[in-house]
Amino acid sequence: MQEKIPLLRTVNLHKWYGKIHALRGVNIDVYPGEVLALIGDNGAGKSTFVKIISGVEKKTAGQIFWKGKEIEISSIEQARNLGIETVYQEQALAPQLTVLQNIFLGRPWTKFGPLKVLDNKRMAQAARRVIDELGLNVQVDQEVRFCSGGEQQGVAVARALLFKAGLVILDEPTRALSATGVERILEFIRGLKKQGIAVIIISHVFPQIFPVTDRFMVLSRGEVIVEKKAEETSSEDLTRIVIEKTV
Amino acid sequence: MRLKMKPRVNTRVKVFIVDNFIWFINAGLYILFMILNSRGFMTLHNVEFILYVSSMLGFLVLGEALVMITGGMDLSLAQNAGLSAMVGGFILGVMAPNLPGWIGVLIVLIAGTVFGTVNGILVGKLKYNAFLATLGTFIAFDWATFWIRRGAIVRLPASFLAPGSATVGGIHIAIFLFLFMALVLHLLLRYTQFGVGVYAVGDNPKAAAMMGINVGNILVWTFTLGGFLAGFSGLLYLGYIGAVTSLIAQNKIFEAFAGAVLGGISLRGGRGSIMGALGGVLLLGILDAGLTMLDISPEIRGVLTGIVLLVAVMINMAISRLRDRILMPH
Repeated sequence: MQEKIPLLRTVNLHKWYGKIHALRGVNIDVYPGEVLALIGDNGAGKSTFVKIISGVEKKTAGQIFWKGKEIEISSIEQARNLGIETVYQEQALAPQLTVLQNIFLGRPWTKFGPLKVLDNKRMAQAARRVIDELGLNVQVDQEVRFCSGGEQQGVAVARALLFKAGLVILDEPTRALSATGVERILEFIRGLKKQGIAVIIISHVFPQIFPVTDRFMVLSRGEVIVEKKAEETSSEDLTRIVIEKTV
Repeated sequence: MRLKMKPRVNTRVKVFIVDNFIWFINAGLYILFMILNSRGFMTLHNVEFILYVSSMLGFLVLGEALVMITGGMDLSLAQNAGLSAMVGGFILGVMAPNLPGWIGVLIVLIAGTVFGTVNGILVGKLKYNAFLATLGTFIAFDWATFWIRRGAIVRLPASFLAPGSATVGGIHIAIFLFLFMALVLHLLLRYTQFGVGVYAVGDNPKAAAMMGINVGNILVWTFTLGGFLAGFSGLLYLGYIGAVTSLIAQNKIFEAFAGAVLGGISLRGGRGSIMGALGGVLLLGILDAGLTMLDISPEIRGVLTGIVLLVAVMINMAISRLRDRILMPH
């Protein structure tokens, strides 16, 4: 039987910040349509891992494979061209810009070649389609600062859907959200799964993300210390592991 | 339950009024001065003169507005205008008097652009604080102007002075140049990828960087464009005066700020429009012309300009809050 090829694989990933060894030989596989949660206390290396995969930082050593092929991710643009979309903890939204401008932030659709005139009509059509798909109650010309926390998360997720991501990384997606907002995020994640999109979730609040996660990896001091399938563990079990390893 | 936030017609009208409030102020101020001095103020000649004089300052306001939208500021724009004019005037008037005037025009514009790029590199690439960087260049440009020539250079070709002095059909071409440039900048900021980048950098530079926008490059380009506009301002001033002096555009930076803020450019960045800045320029022009016609002394006019700036900041904040209240979902 042919072995399933992971969408993303890291092998022996290391990252040094001066004398600080932030990632110590991290091996992670993520498969299409799978939700993998990376959990651990502050300083465990979760954010460093995200920054390397999303192109914000470069790895010091190790290998990264995308669809079975070894790659180097040297920029945010390159990561996005591969199909890696990151929804940051702070959502990376410009609050005074509109929903439309934020969805296309950094990569608007343009016309007339080098003049790079915004193709607002085409962008608006595409944005409305993906907003409806997500069930977001926002207008494309609405300033994002007037959206609720959940809606802002939705706008950030809309980017991932619109640009046909293969892998979506959600960094603390449920932070500071109401119960309704959390449920909306979980619905988004279920929707991404259904579309065969791989999801990596970084979270401190793993009881909230437990219902949608397939696999958990616990990081501590830059290493993966535990890997468990969701059906083999519980949020209490994971909490105990994280606390034990932190103390 | 949050109601659907579809802007209704009256919300759009309210936002339009708030965003273009400056034009209502301009109209009101013009009517006031007309009432106070109807014979002098209502003539076409006076209107043309207001626009002509406004155009020189206007280029500085446009340059300042552009940089302020990115969340920064450029204190050196006026000194840039003066130095660029002096460089061009010195080359044409002293070093190489046989050069055609259009070369001098190019020299002034290139000089302004280069000086702007210096600021852009300091702020965008070397990460200097914009206030401190442009304070430094303000001082450097100011003294460089005096170092090149204290006083005036008067023997200059007519074609060099033309952008700031020539007329077409009785209207100074400076007005057309200014309005054309304002239109180009408005289109650039409103309808191009670069424009969205400028607003994004001003609104949330961290988010802009996370989304792959090269914040440093955006800053370099905006300061460079600001410098180009300052060069243009210097060119118009020297045409207006008919000579290059070491005092061109002196102290005009404060009025440039005032014009930008009056026109709705946010001090925090990420908000404001070129059309609003245009309104701010006209407000200053109407105020200056109106007070001059009422025989108010230059000293008191200066005091009033300072007061206008303070009032402008207050109005800017109030309008911002009002706009938020209008757009806030209920």
